[in-house]
Amino acid sequence: MAQMTQELLEKDRLALEEMNQPLITGNPSYHDVTRVVSQIVEVRTAKIWWMALGITGGITGLLFSMLGYLVWNGIGVWGNNSPVGWGWDITNFVFWIGIGHAGTLISAILFLFRQKWRTSINRFAEAMTLFAVACAGIYPAFHVGRPWRAYWLFPIPIADHGMWQNFRSPLEWDVFAVSTYATVSLLFWFVGLIPDLAILRDRATTKFRRIAYGVLSLGWRSSSEHWKNYEKAYTILAGISTPLVLSVHTIVSFDFAVAILPGWHTTIFPPYFVAGAIFSGFAMVVTLMVIARWVFKVEHIITMKHLENMCKVMVATGTIVGYAYATEFFIAWYSGNQYEQFTFINRATGPYAWAYWTMISCNVLSPQVFWFKKMRTCIPVMFVISIIVNIGMWFERFVIIATSLHRDFLPSSWGYFRPTIVDILTFFGTFGLFITLFLLFLRFLPMIAVQEVKGTLAADKH
Amino acid sequence: MAHDHHLDIPIDSFRLPSATWTHVRNVLVATTVVGWGACLAGYLQDHDQFSRSYLVAFLATIFMALGGMLFVMIQHLTNSAWSVTVRRFMESLMMSLPVGAILFIPIALNVHSLYVWSLPGGVAHFSGGKASYLNERFFVIRAFIYFLIWTALSWRLWAISRKQDETKSASLCYSAAKVSAPGVFFLFITATLAAFDWNMSINPHWYSTIYGVYCITGGAWGFFACLILICMRLRANGILTHSITVEHYHDLGKWQFALTAFWAYIAFSQYMLIWYANMPEETIYYKVRMEGTWRLLTLALPLIHFIFPFFLLIARPAKRTLSILSFISVYVLIVHYLDVYWMIMPNYAKSGIQFHWMDLAALVAVVGTFGFFFWQRLKDAPIVPEGDPRLAKSLRFHNV
Repeated sequence: MAQMTQELLEKDRLALEEMNQPLITGNPSYHDVTRVVSQIVEVRTAKIWWMALGITGGITGLLFSMLGYLVWNGIGVWGNNSPVGWGWDITNFVFWIGIGHAGTLISAILFLFRQKWRTSINRFAEAMTLFAVACAGIYPAFHVGRPWRAYWLFPIPIADHGMWQNFRSPLEWDVFAVSTYATVSLLFWFVGLIPDLAILRDRATTKFRRIAYGVLSLGWRSSSEHWKNYEKAYTILAGISTPLVLSVHTIVSFDFAVAILPGWHTTIFPPYFVAGAIFSGFAMVVTLMVIARWVFKVEHIITMKHLENMCKVMVATGTIVGYAYATEFFIAWYSGNQYEQFTFINRATGPYAWAYWTMISCNVLSPQVFWFKKMRTCIPVMFVISIIVNIGMWFERFVIIATSLHRDFLPSSWGYFRPTIVDILTFFGTFGLFITLFLLFLRFLPMIAVQEVKGTLAADKH
Repeated sequence: MAHDHHLDIPIDSFRLPSATWTHVRNVLVATTVVGWGACLAGYLQDHDQFSRSYLVAFLATIFMALGGMLFVMIQHLTNSAWSVTVRRFMESLMMSLPVGAILFIPIALNVHSLYVWSLPGGVAHFSGGKASYLNERFFVIRAFIYFLIWTALSWRLWAISRKQDETKSASLCYSAAKVSAPGVFFLFITATLAAFDWNMSINPHWYSTIYGVYCITGGAWGFFACLILICMRLRANGILTHSITVEHYHDLGKWQFALTAFWAYIAFSQYMLIWYANMPEETIYYKVRMEGTWRLLTLALPLIHFIFPFFLLIARPAKRTLSILSFISVYVLIVHYLDVYWMIMPNYAKSGIQFHWMDLAALVAVVGTFGFFFWQRLKDAPIVPEGDPRLAKSLRFHNV
């Protein structure tokens, strides 16, 4: 009996310890945090950084040459053709837009929900949002064929020859949704950066740095008045960004769901796409974070607790996506509509079965390992799973697009989509662009929100 | 807690005064008996009308109880401290679910009055294997499984929480979280299927994949109103006035607000996609709801379920002014009922809205029964989970 009580007490002690576990480990002082984060951008540029930039810059060059080739020859260099009129272009657009959502969720929604663990990772994730949106934007801009006229997408009165935008098309709504999203995300990110840019300005050792960071920090003096305004602006921007997390991917889902095509038209698409976007975004944050915290030795600021929470978000959103797959399949059967039924059975057993089962295994099955704490706190496991999830989420978009299109109502017009080398290299190239932008971010801007982390530290200490 | 702060706020009694308890119990018993009496009279008069009125009352409340269970689980999963002082009421609302199994019996017995697919020849024109799903026996078996899962989960969570009242063991927070993680999963699956079975299959030809999410969201919306109202009524009687403060009401109001927006998002997604695609097998859902006086309710719904509560609750002072919050919670409960009414009744009363006295009778009977068991739970149990190690944090909680 006494031993049992002892055991219980021990269990309670551990539980309390875990419940009140500090987010930042090693009990660093405020100055330590400033120093550790600022140094990343202050030390001499490492050779390895130049090497990495050289490689990713080369890949970005490949992207631009592919795009040049596309513009020169026309959209025919991509694999899109009847019956699969939308191929990798829109798959990649949705893939990249989705990646960005984790940043907005972390910075806006988790802020409103008072989730303090967001503070060490929000800057990083927000930067990722911006770069992902940049990669996504390439696809629609170039799919118009004449990218120099892409501005026709905007309802500008001076537009040539009485062109009218089709306001009934969700593709047009995408233009507004994505450009609003990009603008607000940029503002949110920049507002959050201001106090940290001031730190870099104050620590600057060269005149150039002092001027550059000085201009960017907009005269920040850390006065209480500044902080008051800052926090108000931050909360308002969080409030504005929150519906944007939903709206962007909702409208992306409308691109498909407003059609009457079986496999595209289903009412669960909007929330299902949003959950999938957050899922893929968190996977990307984990992939990059695991590397960055190790390279820059900030493991005490971006701790296991942060990573574990992200794994939990991944298993939750991955399962929501699984719920959506299952509901779609069930309703296709329940509807009694033979076209619906055909589409789903064809997905699972037709020529694209390999893609479908890749999607199911990567998105629904693989994150289930995160039910176990051992797996959630094992860095190699989460690194591998996060990559698998990203592969799976790319396949999800591909499956939705290609399998719904390739066999339509007339068997005589059935076909099979194959990407061209241009498709493949363009997609590969966007990774180059994404990582190049990321490397520049890591080199020139504080990758962790220093001032916010200090706030968390203060909360931990009390 | 490792560094417990001195609590400088007055501490409430965490027990209901027995006189108050008995008084409320008596009122509940009297109302419930009257409600069931009226239902019986109505049933003898008109089977069909009773069944339909009863179905609306049942669905309006059971999804609120599911919302209660969902949020109990979310509190555990997020290790939430602010909500500890209101969690016991969430838990006792969740404990309506086992009672729901008994309240489901009148529906199981009146399947013929409610679901056309159960009538002879009702499934004859279904293609595929739908008849193997929509038939009386499987319908009842499924309902049984749903209630089995809900009962198991709610009993387990309640037992853990009650045990913690006595042992004050912190590790029980983790036991509750361990039940909650798979719990949320099973809750979503079963509640979705229940929404398909009980609501959607009334028109067996119509389908919408988002329908389960719609019903769960609506229920959670009503649940928060119910929770706020319970806290407010107790507060008016001087109970828990220092434990559930304006800070807690503010947060409950935020949830009410967030779910108002989320419901609108889900309802809009469904409407928008069906309207845009314009396929007769789907638009029929809205078409029958645009007939006769249903049109009024259909057009009013976005205003009363979204626009009005959204713009009222968006302001911080509204969520912190108890009279406004109290008003909105009564309002929400009425609108939630109307929403469920709008989902169910147009299938039967095709010419227009026909409120019937049995609608009220069934509502009184169902709510009274749930209320009675809800109240019964609070007789001996403390009305705040006093053993939760996060309680001190919750008592001190402040919005910044």
